[in-house]
Amino acid sequence: MISGYLITILITIIVYAILAHSLNVITGHAGQISLGHAAFFGIGAYTSALLYTGGGFPFWASVPLAAVVAGVVGAVLGIPCLRVRDDFLAITTMGIGFVVEAVFLYLPFFGGAMGIGGINLPKWFGREMSKPEYFLLILIVFVLLILFDRRLGRSWIGLAWSSIREDEQAAEAMGVDVVRFKVMAFVLGSTIAGLAGGFYAHFLTFIMPQNFGFGQSILILCMVVFGGIGTRWGPILGAVILGILPEISRPIMEYRTFVYGLLLLAMMRFQPGGLLGEESTLPRMLRRIQFRPSENR
Amino acid sequence: MWFDDCSLLTGFNMLWQQLANGIAIGSVYALISLGLTMVYGILRILHVAHAGIYALGAYVGWFSFRLVGDFWVSLLFGMAGAAVAGYLVERFLYSPLLHLPRIAPLIASIGLFIALEEAFRIVAGPHTLTYNARIGLGDLSIGSFKLTETQILILLVTVVILIVLWTFLTRTRIGLAMRACAMDAETTSSFGVNVGRIIAINFILGSAMAGAAGVLIGVYDNQVWPTMGSIPAYKALAIVVLGGLGNIPGTVVASIVVGLSETFFIGVLAIPFPRDAVAFIAMILVLMFRPYGLLGKA
Amino acid sequence: MRRLGLMGMVCGLFLFFIPGTGQAQDAIKIGFFAPITGPAAADGMSAKHAVELGLKEVNDGGGIRGKKVELIIYDDRLNPQEAVAIANKLIERDKVVGVVSGSYSGPTRVTAPIFQKAGMPMVAGYAVHPDVTWDPTQKKPNDFIFRNGYLGEVEGAAAAEFAVKNLKAKRISVISMDNDFGRAISAGFAERAEKLGSAILTKQMYKFPGEKDFRPFLTRIKEGNPEVIFAAGYYNEAASIVRQAKELGITAQILGEEGFDSPKFLEIAGPAAEGVIIATNLDRDDPRPVVQNFLANYRKAYNEDADMVGASSYDAFMILVDAIKKAGTDPKAIQKALLETKDYNGLTGKISRFVQGEVVKPVQIQVVKGGKFRRLAVIDNPEVITPPTK
Repeated sequence: MISGYLITILITIIVYAILAHSLNVITGHAGQISLGHAAFFGIGAYTSALLYTGGGFPFWASVPLAAVVAGVVGAVLGIPCLRVRDDFLAITTMGIGFVVEAVFLYLPFFGGAMGIGGINLPKWFGREMSKPEYFLLILIVFVLLILFDRRLGRSWIGLAWSSIREDEQAAEAMGVDVVRFKVMAFVLGSTIAGLAGGFYAHFLTFIMPQNFGFGQSILILCMVVFGGIGTRWGPILGAVILGILPEISRPIMEYRTFVYGLLLLAMMRFQPGGLLGEESTLPRMLRRIQFRPSENR
Repeated sequence: MWFDDCSLLTGFNMLWQQLANGIAIGSVYALISLGLTMVYGILRILHVAHAGIYALGAYVGWFSFRLVGDFWVSLLFGMAGAAVAGYLVERFLYSPLLHLPRIAPLIASIGLFIALEEAFRIVAGPHTLTYNARIGLGDLSIGSFKLTETQILILLVTVVILIVLWTFLTRTRIGLAMRACAMDAETTSSFGVNVGRIIAINFILGSAMAGAAGVLIGVYDNQVWPTMGSIPAYKALAIVVLGGLGNIPGTVVASIVVGLSETFFIGVLAIPFPRDAVAFIAMILVLMFRPYGLLGKA
Repeated sequence: MRRLGLMGMVCGLFLFFIPGTGQAQDAIKIGFFAPITGPAAADGMSAKHAVELGLKEVNDGGGIRGKKVELIIYDDRLNPQEAVAIANKLIERDKVVGVVSGSYSGPTRVTAPIFQKAGMPMVAGYAVHPDVTWDPTQKKPNDFIFRNGYLGEVEGAAAAEFAVKNLKAKRISVISMDNDFGRAISAGFAERAEKLGSAILTKQMYKFPGEKDFRPFLTRIKEGNPEVIFAAGYYNEAASIVRQAKELGITAQILGEEGFDSPKFLEIAGPAAEGVIIATNLDRDDPRPVVQNFLANYRKAYNEDADMVGASSYDAFMILVDAIKKAGTDPKAIQKALLETKDYNGLTGKISRFVQGEVVKPVQIQVVKGGKFRRLAVIDNPEVITPPTK
């Protein structure tokens, strides 16, 4: 029997891993900085919560629909946003984050400051899923997402994204429809974030607007950059580390947020590519072990 | 829903009062945002930790006020403390990161901002400190319209700082070099201008203004608290974008526009929408029609 | 290969947070969580200080049934998902017998169903969300969860009772922070005031946390020229409202709530605080030793005056300790003792009983006089102070 404490942390981490992966599609694959990613996470969570508690939809319908709604909103907001220059985009997405949070807070339809409660774990075989089972479910979804990402990376879309990331103007000159592929990345990233939101709402059972604020957006971005932006495993590693950091640093209680800030700073100062970035120490060490096992003295 | 019971436009009787309220808060926004836009103009980085410098200015001002007991001295100390901090940040944090993709300094800046907020809490305690300074200006009342002492102070300090800044940028050689750098650092460098020094001066000036804003807000609200920078951190970014990233007059206009529109949203239209969202809605709307900000050029 | 190394790292990290739980101790463990860092750190600190004071008193007095009490303290950073982890940790790792919440509604609200499911009694100090004690899916009370603070509606209604009956206010403006507490208390206030025949001129909500500039709101209020302004906020917002109202020349009586109840409010608002009336649960002029000793000991221990948050958290802790004294360390027995609470002599008022986990006790009306909170009136109309049952 795995303890509920451990499973709670594992679920938190896996949700963050999906989120970090979703942002990596936008920021890592297509090179657009988003400072408002929690908005799509929130849209997913609220859609799922409202469909489940208000609409009577089962979990199995509400969570996929949450992903769809987040994707559609991502498309609607993304198309005008992507017209602006890169730094403007970062701040525009931040603005979207604030406006979305304000909408949750001010429209009574979304439960306002009281939030939405009573969102339970899904049912299967006539009973409520246990937390370990729920964890396995999210894990399976996560693995499928990663496999899908691998396929995508080898496809035309993946190639188009990497060309945009490397040099937008050159890509444009080569005939890549830059805006179309950017929007595609934005929509895909938003959809996956919405999916994570659905899982999160059913795990937390109660959501309120503050869960999806600026701080959350920053945290997701930090996970991506911390692990290694644009790499497949980096953001996931970032999610794991920053996800459990609050728990393992409990003994230093009053200083842990301070340490978290310093950690980000030090990371950028000394390993700006992130833990698994091409030029970073860890992959270099791993490569050395891999290629020259005999030289270990 | 919390729509007001009153008719929507009754607030117009207090129009002048609301105008004063809006311009006062807009002036503080201007002081904070100017430093940010100057840093962006020259380095092209989003300096989130600027709001941490702003809070630092308030803390230094508060501390020196406790020591010296004179408001004007504490204002100078607050500005000086922020300027030194700004210089150190540029020297030891940003300058090694400039050759990297722009996300690296952004994340470092966020990390620094979080660490600064926590450092204030650890050093000065989680509670709000009071900055109860006697300024010696007095209120100004005309009928039911009233300009409080702190509002007069804010307007006065802002106007003086803006005039000094403008003179500096347009009438001195360094100011000219700064503007040239903001346009094209490489070319300016080829003319023999020491770009590193220009960047440092930029940070010092911008941070000093943020420090002044911190002190002014400390006195205006009589409060200095650890997380006082968290709203300016993002609101200043919205204002800077609205003004056209790197554009100094645009930033001043945008600050006043945001200050006024927030005030009128709350006080006259009474639409129950959070004031922070107002800045962002304004920003997004403007960007849709003018992708480079209010006064920005392509 | 590279991935293998990564997996190894991940596993290594996991080993980190499987600490030894082997320190078997004979102490009675009580869990406690509060926002000790983050935006609500000041309140979290007050709560922690007060509960630690209570802990010291209990242990100095010989503990409970000869056993020492051990307090397991966690910081939730005002973050609900951290609170979920904390709740599970308290139940499974720390094996506490009961829990005290010194936190806001968000974290308390998410932990309530977890404690309820685990059959673990929790007493919340001052969290106000109605769903702390209520399960919205099952439509029944969370019978393991108890609340020492008033429901927002009750406190708001009591303030309205005072405004209309004692202050004879006919024209009232309401300004409130936009969170669950602000919404609940201002709704309770407006409903009762209108029922008693007064007019609510304006209802305004401001953003929480972060709003500092209330001049636009107050300028609007001034125009309506009300007799009473009911303002809801915590001490920072409260002090700003009071000061800025004064600056703008507003002469209406300001009526606040328990969020004002902090020495920090008096300090920040300064002379503008004079004459402000609040509805709260702590009566500093109460001669009962439990009140006077707490105030004196708190001052001595931390060199600052106690506030409502601290007092309420202290009370929550002591209510739980009292139940353990009566019933022993079995959580189910503790819950039963809590359900049977009758005329408990609390720091924040005599608790006659709990109704569906909600406290029943009179609401204190205090006024700021000479830079101090002083007793003005007590609202004990049962129609007002009995929490509504669902």
